Amino acid sequence: MTAKPLISMNRVFKNYETPSGSFAALRGIDLEVQEGEYVAVVGRSGSGKSTLINVLTGIDSPSSGEIHVASTAVHNLGEEELAKWRGKNVGVIFQFFQLLPTLTVAENVMLPMDFCNTFPPGERRPRAMALLEKMGIAEQADKLPSDLSGGQQQRAAIARALANDPPLLVADEPTGNLDSRTSEDVVRFFSSLVNEGKTVVMVTHERDMTRYFTRTVMLEDGAIVEETEAKAWS
Amino acid sequence: MELSPRWRKLAGDLRNARGRLSMMVLAMAVGMFGIAAILSAYTILTREIGRNYLGTNPASALIEVDQVTDELVDAVRHRPGIANAESGTSLWARVEVKPDEWMPLLLFVVKDFRAMKIGMVRPESGAYPPPEGSMLLERTGLPLVNGKFGDGIRVQTPNGPKRKIVISGLVHDPGLAPSWQEQTAYGYITLSTLALLGESGTLDTLKVTVSDPSPNVVAIERTVAGLAGWLRQQGYSVGEIRIPPPGKHPHETQMRAVLAMLILFSLMALVLSAVLTASTIGGMLAQQVRQIGIMKAIGARSSQIAGIYLALVVLMGGVAVVLGLPPGIAAGRGLARAIAELLNLTLYSEAVPGWVYLVQLIAGLLVPFLIALGPILRATRITVREAINDYGTSIRTFRSSRLDALLGKIRGMDRTLLLSIRNTFRRRGRLMLTLGLLSAAGAMFMTALNVRAAWERNLADAASDRRYDLEIRLNGPHPEEKVLAIVSSVPGVQKVESWDIDPAAANRHDGLEIARTYPDRGHGSFTLRSAPPGSRMIQLTMLGGRWLPPGDSDAVVLNHMALRIFPGVKVGDTIHISVQGRQTAFHVVGIAREIVTPAAAYTSPEGFHRALGRSGQTNAVRVVMKGHDEKTIGAVTREIERALERERISVKIDFSETRLDNALSGHIYILIFALILMSAIMAVVGVLGLASAMGTTVVERTREFGVMRAIGGRTGTVMRNVIGEGVFIGLMSWGIAIVLSLPLSAGVGRLVGTLAFYFPLPLVLSPAAMIIWLTVIFLGSTAASAYPASRASRLTVRETLAYT
Repeated sequence: MTAKPLISMNRVFKNYETPSGSFAALRGIDLEVQEGEYVAVVGRSGSGKSTLINVLTGIDSPSSGEIHVASTAVHNLGEEELAKWRGKNVGVIFQFFQLLPTLTVAENVMLPMDFCNTFPPGERRPRAMALLEKMGIAEQADKLPSDLSGGQQQRAAIARALANDPPLLVADEPTGNLDSRTSEDVVRFFSSLVNEGKTVVMVTHERDMTRYFTRTVMLEDGAIVEETEAKAWS
Repeated sequence: MELSPRWRKLAGDLRNARGRLSMMVLAMAVGMFGIAAILSAYTILTREIGRNYLGTNPASALIEVDQVTDELVDAVRHRPGIANAESGTSLWARVEVKPDEWMPLLLFVVKDFRAMKIGMVRPESGAYPPPEGSMLLERTGLPLVNGKFGDGIRVQTPNGPKRKIVISGLVHDPGLAPSWQEQTAYGYITLSTLALLGESGTLDTLKVTVSDPSPNVVAIERTVAGLAGWLRQQGYSVGEIRIPPPGKHPHETQMRAVLAMLILFSLMALVLSAVLTASTIGGMLAQQVRQIGIMKAIGARSSQIAGIYLALVVLMGGVAVVLGLPPGIAAGRGLARAIAELLNLTLYSEAVPGWVYLVQLIAGLLVPFLIALGPILRATRITVREAINDYGTSIRTFRSSRLDALLGKIRGMDRTLLLSIRNTFRRRGRLMLTLGLLSAAGAMFMTALNVRAAWERNLADAASDRRYDLEIRLNGPHPEEKVLAIVSSVPGVQKVESWDIDPAAANRHDGLEIARTYPDRGHGSFTLRSAPPGSRMIQLTMLGGRWLPPGDSDAVVLNHMALRIFPGVKVGDTIHISVQGRQTAFHVVGIAREIVTPAAAYTSPEGFHRALGRSGQTNAVRVVMKGHDEKTIGAVTREIERALERERISVKIDFSETRLDNALSGHIYILIFALILMSAIMAVVGVLGLASAMGTTVVERTREFGVMRAIGGRTGTVMRNVIGEGVFIGLMSWGIAIVLSLPLSAGVGRLVGTLAFYFPLPLVLSPAAMIIWLTVIFLGSTAASAYPASRASRLTVRETLAYT
């Protein structure tokens, strides 16, 4: 008997209304991700990768279909419930890091704990420092994001994603703005997180790093055209 | 305790946007300053005017009888409804202010200064009571009579010779307007001094107060009419009865109305500054929309994010209160002092009540909070996808509306200028707010100057209605032919006419003459005048009907002020006028506008004869001189007075156009000053608003500037683009302000005119106001956009393109 998947997407459609007519970004996506998987979502520009990530994290809502993450029916949640759910259950990582420029690196990491009240105030900074230590940038903790390199900023963003210890990490091209060496570091780090029990879904173009992924999902014109188990890629 | 990251973010935002936020705080502080100033002045003055006026225990009524003895006063005190009674009298005299130049002097004769209980005066300096042969002067009269404390000045009463008496002291009489304003001095003397001046020592006025603690004018009239009936039964002859509005200073209604109008304007300034806050916060939100999206992506709820920005607004409001309130209160005290001087009040206390502080604290925090609440809630409700995918709260793009399409078709213009114009309309909401601020400021500024111009036009019209240089009133009637012959024989006199005059009242069924006049006999008076047939000395604008037909003894023309005596009277109605105890019916043939003249009814000499029973005599003449300058008028006036004196004709008072101008000019300037102060406040708020809006625009378009520079745009190009947009907004607001100023000027002109002249001011547009505001707005908008422009032009291409 198969274990209940952590992520379950069932017949998910997403249409956008544009001045030139309706545009289907997702066309009936069916996807299941088990706990502890490291899934890469690949595809050409405009294939629907980011939309898939967005509807999965509740950043965007599907036009139709169902999305379950653990026991939560994400497609049924309102904006406020989504924010709360996301803060505790999903760590989101963006291509352009998206650290708040007026907060120090440590403060950026503490911010999700502050919003979700997941740790007592006295424990937030030590936890942020521990996460930054884990990311290898503890010495940058009190600097502003603009003082950091791209790689360091992305590490800080990952630390922030881990702040509330969510079971799921979702990353939208986290290496898109990094050099190849740093990119590999990031991908490898996600792999280590998977080994610790986290589930990672990542949009990426890094085909030469497939060895780190447990599964690759290829999208084309809003539909999954190929799902490849890690063994087949390696 | 360590600040949580969200509040650290707030602190960081404050640091980052300190320029724009400082302007916002400054604008709010200016708004707070305005409302604090006006509200403090209002509370101080409304309290002190009551304290001053009621402190004199003003008479409920003044009744003229043939003689008031101590026994009569005692008997009146025991009459029903009467609280207290005193005897007194007042008479018109003249005081010499320069050699042979005389000014009206209203002398109040007091039987016993120490026992004075009604219409009291407060000694300020010198001897009190005044020794025999001396006079106490109302304090505001001292500079006017060019006198000094202890000086002897020449005074002439109706029946006495010119006689020097000493100013033995100064008193404050809060029931009177300042001497400089009325161009009349007020003196206080004893009975023995009156006798020394050549008058009989008879007191003919009974001053009474009623026992009802909060009487209205009808109740007083009823009580006083009962008393007058009793006096008649006792064999006294009852003359004019004067009942001033109870408990109300002569200028209280005007003061309250003007201050209420200023409060309204200052509230507008506060609301506009709060709108600016909303606009600035809106700009900041637009700039931070991506950050809002990120915060939501990592778990922040809308309410948490809204809390951050609302805290910012409250913080800004708090700082504005701290900055604006103390100087505002200080300015309010200054304004109260200036208005107190205008009303001849003493401010016994400048304390501002606690509720004023509380109201302003609440207004300073709550108004911006409420105004910013909507935009903040809207912005923080944005979905994460909208926030991340679209840089801005709106998904509309340029060319999506007809206006955009129209702007897109503009050709043949400097490309930078074209870009400025198109950019102006990109953020319509913010543009509307900025335009609203600047236009409101401009409209108020122009309104202030338009009202001033209308006031001056009104006075000029009034002056052109009066086509004579001098009016002389005599002490009692004299043979008309003789008076006219004396005056016309004086060199420099071109024409002289008889304009007989007598105090009048609306007729009552009990035959009493009751006027709503204050003790100064000016405010609220009503007279019947004889107008020579075919005279061109006044040319009044008829509001209805026509001027007097020659020889018609039944006809009367009322000026608009007389409509207050005969409310609801129309052309064709019959009215009954009481003069010297005689009642006469007149047929109203016309109603005329007559500015700066108390209520009057004009009739023909025949009509005047019918009303008074005297003919061939006059107590007033009007004179047209050959020269109309101040010096000539003064010299000829002196010659006329000498000529009349030689014939033993005593002059009561003379009014020249110059004196009338002086009397009027003092009334308006404080109001104009206050209006301009308010418009300056609005202008500051407006320009700060523009600066803030331009700052936001620059921040939003930083990437665009980078692109412009990357493709060859120079520093000057960027500067020109931003300044061009600012100036374009400024110029648009100028046009809107002119349109807005029309109804505003008409409304304020109506209020001011009705208060001052009982007639709305005409709508006058001041070209100077338009030009001054155009200059202000051009320089202001250039300055407001110059800083953001120079900041934008200093950014490197790398910085601008990396900007998030």
